Formats: sequence, C-alpha cells, structure tokens
Amino acid sequence: MKNMFSHPEKSIAAKLIIAIGLLMIVVSFVFWYATLKKQEKDIMTIALKYGISFIDFTKQSFRRSMLAFGPEETQNVLENLGTPEGVKKIRIYNHKGRVFFSSYKESIGKSVDKNSVACMGCHVDPEKSPALLQNPKKWSVNKNKGESTTLKLIDSIPNEPACYTASCHAHPKELKILGFVEADLSLALLDEALFKQALALTAYVIIFVLAVSLFLGIILYKIVSKPVNELVYGMQKVAGGDLDYSVPITSVDEMGVLARTFNSMKKDLKAARDQREQWTQTLETEIAKKTEEIRKTHASLVQTEKLASLGRMAAGVAHEINNPLTGVVTFAHLLKKKFQPDSPETQDLDIIIEQSERCSKIIKNLLTFARATPSEKGNVSINDVLSRTIFMLRNQEKFHHIKFNINLEDSRFIIAGDSSQFQQIFLNMFINAVDAMGGRGNITVATRSIKENGKPYVEIEFTDEGSGIEKKYLPKLFEPFFTTKPVGKGTGLGLSVSHGIVKHFGGYIKVKSEVGKGTSFFVRLPLPEKQS
Amino acid sequence: MKKILVIDDEPIIRTSCERTLAPEGYEVKSADSGKKGIEFLEKEPFSLVLLDLKMPDMDGIEVLNKIKVTWPETKVVMITGYSTVDTAVQALRLGAYNFIEKPFTPDTLISAVKEVFEKSNQDTGDPGPAE
Repeated sequence: MKNMFSHPEKSIAAKLIIAIGLLMIVVSFVFWYATLKKQEKDIMTIALKYGISFIDFTKQSFRRSMLAFGPEETQNVLENLGTPEGVKKIRIYNHKGRVFFSSYKESIGKSVDKNSVACMGCHVDPEKSPALLQNPKKWSVNKNKGESTTLKLIDSIPNEPACYTASCHAHPKELKILGFVEADLSLALLDEALFKQALALTAYVIIFVLAVSLFLGIILYKIVSKPVNELVYGMQKVAGGDLDYSVPITSVDEMGVLARTFNSMKKDLKAARDQREQWTQTLETEIAKKTEEIRKTHASLVQTEKLASLGRMAAGVAHEINNPLTGVVTFAHLLKKKFQPDSPETQDLDIIIEQSERCSKIIKNLLTFARATPSEKGNVSINDVLSRTIFMLRNQEKFHHIKFNINLEDSRFIIAGDSSQFQQIFLNMFINAVDAMGGRGNITVATRSIKENGKPYVEIEFTDEGSGIEKKYLPKLFEPFFTTKPVGKGTGLGLSVSHGIVKHFGGYIKVKSEVGKGTSFFVRLPLPEKQS
Repeated sequence: MKKILVIDDEPIIRTSCERTLAPEGYEVKSADSGKKGIEFLEKEPFSLVLLDLKMPDMDGIEVLNKIKVTWPETKVVMITGYSTVDTAVQALRLGAYNFIEKPFTPDTLISAVKEVFEKSNQDTGDPGPAE
C-alpha cells in the first residue's frame, strides 16, 4: 500500500484511486454547491413570505393613524415596529422619494436613492420617464461587508376612498399610489444557519470522499495490486529459472484466471524443460554407448590386425628358420653316416637331430597359432554382432556408396562363442560383396531362424548385386589361397577362414550365384536346442 | 646318370640337397634363383627339379608353370616352408609330382627322389602325371 502511493505512476490502483477521488471531489463540489444554493433560495422564499407579512402588518398598524392624520402616531408606530432585533429600519416615503416617517428619525425629510430598488423596482429609468417595468420587483437583498444580509421590502400604499374622502383632504382622488412602505430586515440568523449548514455539508463531503477513497484503496489493493505483485514476483522467479514456484492466487476472477494460466504455462514449461533435459541425458548415454561400441569394434579390429601381423611374422620367421634347420638336420645325418651306429658320436648327433625336430615342431605350432584366432567363449548375439559390424562398416570409406538393406528377425540368436570370430566371418562377407560390386550398390543382410533335420539353425544371408561367381569356381571357393581378386588384393584366405570358423561351430556356408546378377552367401549356424 | 636341378635362393638348402643326393649317385646342379634355373634347363635336360615355393625374383609356382609348359617330361618336386596341405594341393594341381616340407631329413629327400624315378620307370618313361 505504501509503494502504491509513493510511486503512483507505477501503480494501477493508485491511479484508479486518484482518478475516482478527483471525480468524487468534483461531483461532491457540484452537489455541495447546488444544495447550498437551493437551501439559500428556500430560506429566502420563507424570509420573503415573512417579510411581506410584516409589511402588511405594518400597513395595518399605521392605517388608522394615517386616516386620522396623526403623523406623530404614525411615527410612533414605526418606531415601535422598528425595535425588534430583526428589523433594521422602516420608512415611509412618497412617490417623489421624500421620506416622511422612519424608525430612524434622522432620515426623515431626506430622499431615497433613485437608483435603489425603491424606484428601480417598478420604473425602467426613474430619472427620465415614468415608464413601468412589466414585472415590478418589490424586494432586494443587500450584503455589505462586515454586516449581516439585509432584506429590503417595498410595498406601495394605494389610494382608496377613505383616503381621498378623509377630513384632512390630504390626497386628491386622481392619485393611484400615495406612497411606499420600506422595511429593512436583517437576515443575520439565516446567514448563520446557512453558514452552519455549509460547514456541515463540507464536512460530510470530505468524510465521504475520504471514506470512499480508503475503501476503494483497500479493495483495489486486495483485488489488483496484491495479485499483480504476486504475479510479477512469480514471473521474476520463473524468469530466474525457478520453475517450481506457483503463484498462490485462488480467486475466480480474471486475476485468478491469469494466475492459473500462468501456473499451467509454467508447468508446461517445466515439463518441456525436464523432457529436454531427459533427452539430452538419453542422447549423452546413447552417444557414450555408441562410442563404446565403436571403440570395442575398433579394438577388435586392431586385435584382429595384430593377430594377422603376428601370423605373418610367425610365418616369415618359420620360413626363415626352416632353411638353416634343414641344413642342420642334413649335415647331422651326413656326419652320422661316418660313425658306427652305437658310437657316442652317433648318439650325440641323434640329440642334434632330435632337438632340430623339436625346433621344427615349435615352428609348426607357431604357424598353427598364427592361423587360428584365440577365442574367448561367451554368449554372443548374432544380430548384435551383425548390427555392430554394419555400424562400423558404414563409417568406412570403402562402404560410403553402399546401401544396406537390413532385415533382422526379431530374435537375438544367442550362440556360445567368440564375437570377434563371428565378426571376422561377417567382415569377410561384406568385403567380398563390396569388391564384387566395385564399391557401389545394395547389400541385403538378413537373419532368420530355420529348421534343419529338426534342429534349430540361424541363417545369415549376405546378398550383393555384384558380378557373380562363375560355376567352375564354386567348388574351389573355400579353398585356401583361392582368389579371383587381382594379385596383391586378395589373399584367398577370407572365405577359407570363414569356412573354418563356421565349421568349428557345426555350421556351413551355402552359396547361390548368378553371373552378372549377384551372389548370396548363407551362413548357417546351429542354435542351442532350448532356444527356438 | 639321373640329373637333378635344385632351385632355391637358400645356399644351405642347395648344399644340403647336393650333399645328400650326390652320394646316392645323382648328378646334382643348383641354381640360386628361378631365372637361373630356367637358364640351366635351357642348356641341358634334367630328369628332376627340386623347386622352392617361395623365392624373391620368380615365384616357385611361376617356375613350375614354365617348366610344365616348356619341359613337360621333367618332374618337379616342390620344397615348401609352409606346412599346409593346401599349398601342396595347389602345387600338385599345377603339375608338381610331389612336395617335401622344410625342414626335411636326408632320408625324406632321398625317398622322395627315389619315388619319382621308380614311378617314372614303372610308367615306362612316360613323363609326369596326367594333366
């Protein structure tokens, strides 16, 4: 409330109160003024009525003395009548304005002011013509500074038979008006009453305006300022990021509607923000997952590559060592022939030969190791490995112009084995497909469960739109070192290795090919009996 | 006297073959590369060639092909460092008579050579296995 009026330009309520207050002051003033004027008029009417009665009474009082032509009597009557406080003076003057009788003896014989209501009340211009006003005014109200208001009443004394037939013969018959009675009455009491009324009315108006303004202020504060402040506070809170804050307005008016709309908007905003945060989090998790997958695939590739390098190295070392070993064995044998079979020399040479053969065996094992990928057994999902492999390949330059049509059956196809071995099979299949198509085209990948001799198998299909395989090559396809690829490009080991792995798991690879149209490889692996 | 040519880039293999086969009554000559081996073959005929599979300039498979085309009656026995049946199968498919694995003992070599000549004698001099 304090804020409301310290900065009225910032408060609707203050503006309203000031506007309504001003309007009330204006209206009250008009009302106040009209009421006072009306009262004044009413009082004046009453005063006039009493004044006329007083004049009539005066006329009645001096009529007898006039008819009896007793000027002293008349003067006495006037003086008596002029004694009450409310009567200031009474005079009688003739048509020319000369005063004959007065409650103030000093004014007798003087003339009345021709510009006063005494003459102007009836005559248009008393100085120049005797012309009469259509509506003669027989009274006037004067207010001199420092004095009470005076009501001046004038009445004519008409001629009548008793006057022109009286013994004094003072008045001729032709005269219509013999003179005038003028009474000055004080309206001091009325003034006072009026003043008191005006005072009371002013007090009422002020109290009324203040009361209405106060009431209005409280009402406006309750229904406008407070809710608006609460809304503003709420908006500031929301703008500051606090979406848990609700505006505590429960009224059913527009403010309540506004508050509820605001609260619901804020709720929506919060929901949107929460969802966005959740999305961000999900996205982060997803990215982390994918990154991990890529890392794993990459690691597995690196591992495979490492093993391949090790294999190549082992093969090279074996090849190199086999040559000197042949020399050792040959010359040991040649030497042996020069000694007796049971001689110690022969025995020593046998040891040389034996140890050389041992070396040979070690080399053979090394080669076997280099060829076989060590396997970590675990439960592997064929679909997952396939998806991972495809995901990885999509980022490879070699596969940039390849479209994968993936149609995996809704089962994970769990097989106990080493995922890197399955990945090796799939990689070989995809690389062969891409090479067959010259790097462009569609590769269809599908998994499905089939039954063979009543046993469950998973069939993994790889179909390309490549050049196809000539019929004469089909029987040699899985032989080691067989390749149709240009020298230096293919090792001829991919399919044979794949074949070896598939065979190891009790499965086999089926080929369907049409020259110029494409090739389909079907890798079939047996599934555990329980899983159908 | 049966003439045998050894083609191998490894001196120790050539020496081993010479020292093993000469006492058995064979005339053994050796070349250190496929190219030189072909030159030897162009100069004089050989009954048997002991051919290394892996050589720097000319691959054993290439030399085998050349021999099979130019001197079809000459027998070829492959010497291989890779103890895989697959390589041997490939060589045999291309017309090699047999193969021996490194490291080999003198007995293995002698019996392999003997087998070639005994077989060819039975075949009344008909050179090599059918293509």
